[in-house]
Amino acid sequence: MSEPILVARELQKDYPMNGETVHALRGVSLRIDRGEYVAIVGPSGCGKSTLLQLLGGIDVASSGSVELLGTRLDTLSDRELTHLRLTRLGFVFQRFHLLPVLSARENVELPMAEAGLRPAERRLRARELLEYVGLGSRVEHRATQLSGGEMQRVAIARALANRPAVLLADEPTGELDAGTGQEIVELFRRVNRDGSTLVVVTHDDHLAREASRVVHLLDGRIRSD
Amino acid sequence: MSALAWGMKSLARHPLRSLLSLAGIAVAAAMLLDMVMLSGGIDQSFAQLLLSRGYQIRLSPKGTLPFDTEASLRGTSAILASLRRDPAIDAAGAVLGASLYGRSGDTLITLVGYGIQPQAQALYQVTAGNDLESGDTLGVLLSEPAAQLLKAGLGDSISLLGRLDPQVAVAGIARRLVVRGMVRFVYDYRGQPSVGTVLATMQRLARGDAEDRASLIVVKVRDDRAVERVAAGLRQRFPRLEIFSVADLVAHFRERLVYFRQLSYILGSMSLVVAVLLIATLLTITVNERLGEIATLRAIGVSRATIVRQVFAEGAVLTLLGATLGILLGLVTAHYLDAILTSFPGLPASFSFFVPRANTLSRAGVILALTGSVAGLYPAWLAARAPIAATLRAEAT
Repeated sequence: MSEPILVARELQKDYPMNGETVHALRGVSLRIDRGEYVAIVGPSGCGKSTLLQLLGGIDVASSGSVELLGTRLDTLSDRELTHLRLTRLGFVFQRFHLLPVLSARENVELPMAEAGLRPAERRLRARELLEYVGLGSRVEHRATQLSGGEMQRVAIARALANRPAVLLADEPTGELDAGTGQEIVELFRRVNRDGSTLVVVTHDDHLAREASRVVHLLDGRIRSD
Repeated sequence: MSALAWGMKSLARHPLRSLLSLAGIAVAAAMLLDMVMLSGGIDQSFAQLLLSRGYQIRLSPKGTLPFDTEASLRGTSAILASLRRDPAIDAAGAVLGASLYGRSGDTLITLVGYGIQPQAQALYQVTAGNDLESGDTLGVLLSEPAAQLLKAGLGDSISLLGRLDPQVAVAGIARRLVVRGMVRFVYDYRGQPSVGTVLATMQRLARGDAEDRASLIVVKVRDDRAVERVAAGLRQRFPRLEIFSVADLVAHFRERLVYFRQLSYILGSMSLVVAVLLIATLLTITVNERLGEIATLRAIGVSRATIVRQVFAEGAVLTLLGATLGILLGLVTAHYLDAILTSFPGLPASFSFFVPRANTLSRAGVILALTGSVAGLYPAWLAARAPIAATLRAEAT
């Protein structure tokens, strides 16, 4: 039997909006095993990104629970949760969110520096990761000197920096043209093939088709899995 | 990456904005430094001036300090002899101030005259030629402005006249003297034409020889630590005289300048408030602009402490650069302001309002560092409290 990495039980998330309560998630349960490549799809506003944020411990559920490698996230303090995100999870965002004043290498080094890796060690790993995502020749370029596709590659390298148990990506091709998006799709395929567990929220059919499992969300509920 | 390097890089994102802010902080820091220098500088400069020749105690007629050419001591030689017998006293000398005329062609020039005892004087430094000998009743010393007005140089003879006394309508006494040296009188205001002769000559010119008059007696105590004790002893021995140590004079001076000092504190505080507001505003704008970035950093596991450190680092770099520029600017402006203020009539030219000292600079530096920290508090709190999920949602829409 496969080892579960992420387990969500009866997740509900409500937001207050203009004096009313929006039910973003209405009892979502999900189990993700090691090595899986899961795509979460659905129309805008169905709760995909909210689910990803709850799975990644960057938001708190109104009810229900999330377990990462057997640890319930709602039992952790803010400091413990931050450390868990740093060491066990990798995040890729639609808008890359690289630090523009840093080079590609420095951006990748950032989570490793936060985790306390020695400078020489993290420099070496950052170079290896940038080679891995195909940016070996752009190591010292500033984020602002890179194209959208290159920035997303750097973001993927940054997400892999501390060897996370799961890589969570929110619309990673949303800001890219079709050609560049396809390169990212292929990169994700390779990342998964090399052993990483992936959970990707996407509208992109190409990206969803690459996944080994597709979870359809509708109105805050899982329609199909 | 070090916190300071991080701060530098962050500021480099908006170079023009950062430069303008730096300029503002530098101006506020310069003002603060000038005010700190001003608040303590006058006292110190005054003390330095009084101690410039090493004489720590002044004796004068009652109510005449710092110096009065009208009132005078009588029986100066007896007082001096008594002082010189005191084993705690190293030297004592009398000074007689008088108004004189000097003749340049057909013109009479008003001069300030000092009768001194060259072996014990606290008034001047020789800049050219020689000092007077003790018994040199035919020699005279000139300040640079006096030499220019009298068109006299070393070795020339000049004619000095005691002032005509309008009350008794007696013509002044005239003496022809030879210029022995050029001197800088330390208490003279800028451009003051002064001459110095031995005490006996000046007493004759000022018609004070019969009563052995002097305006002031200066005393050098052997041991600096004994000054107050010696001054107390002199007060008992000479109850009819005013006796002040340099510390007493500085204290009196400080009392008189209390409003001046308060003003400098107020202006200094205002400049600090300006600096705090400037840094806080810039950092708050920066943090608000970067909330998405901060939320991302928090999402990928960067701790609140690191975020706070980064905000403080940016504030620290701003403060550090601003303070460095401000100190340079403050020193330059202090130099020019000092030149303006010391050109006021009646002020000794060697007096300084702004005195740069290591402890003044370090005090201003510490105050500015605290300013930077205080200014970073709100933006750092803002950055640390940024809600991750809500900010990322807002960024995505």
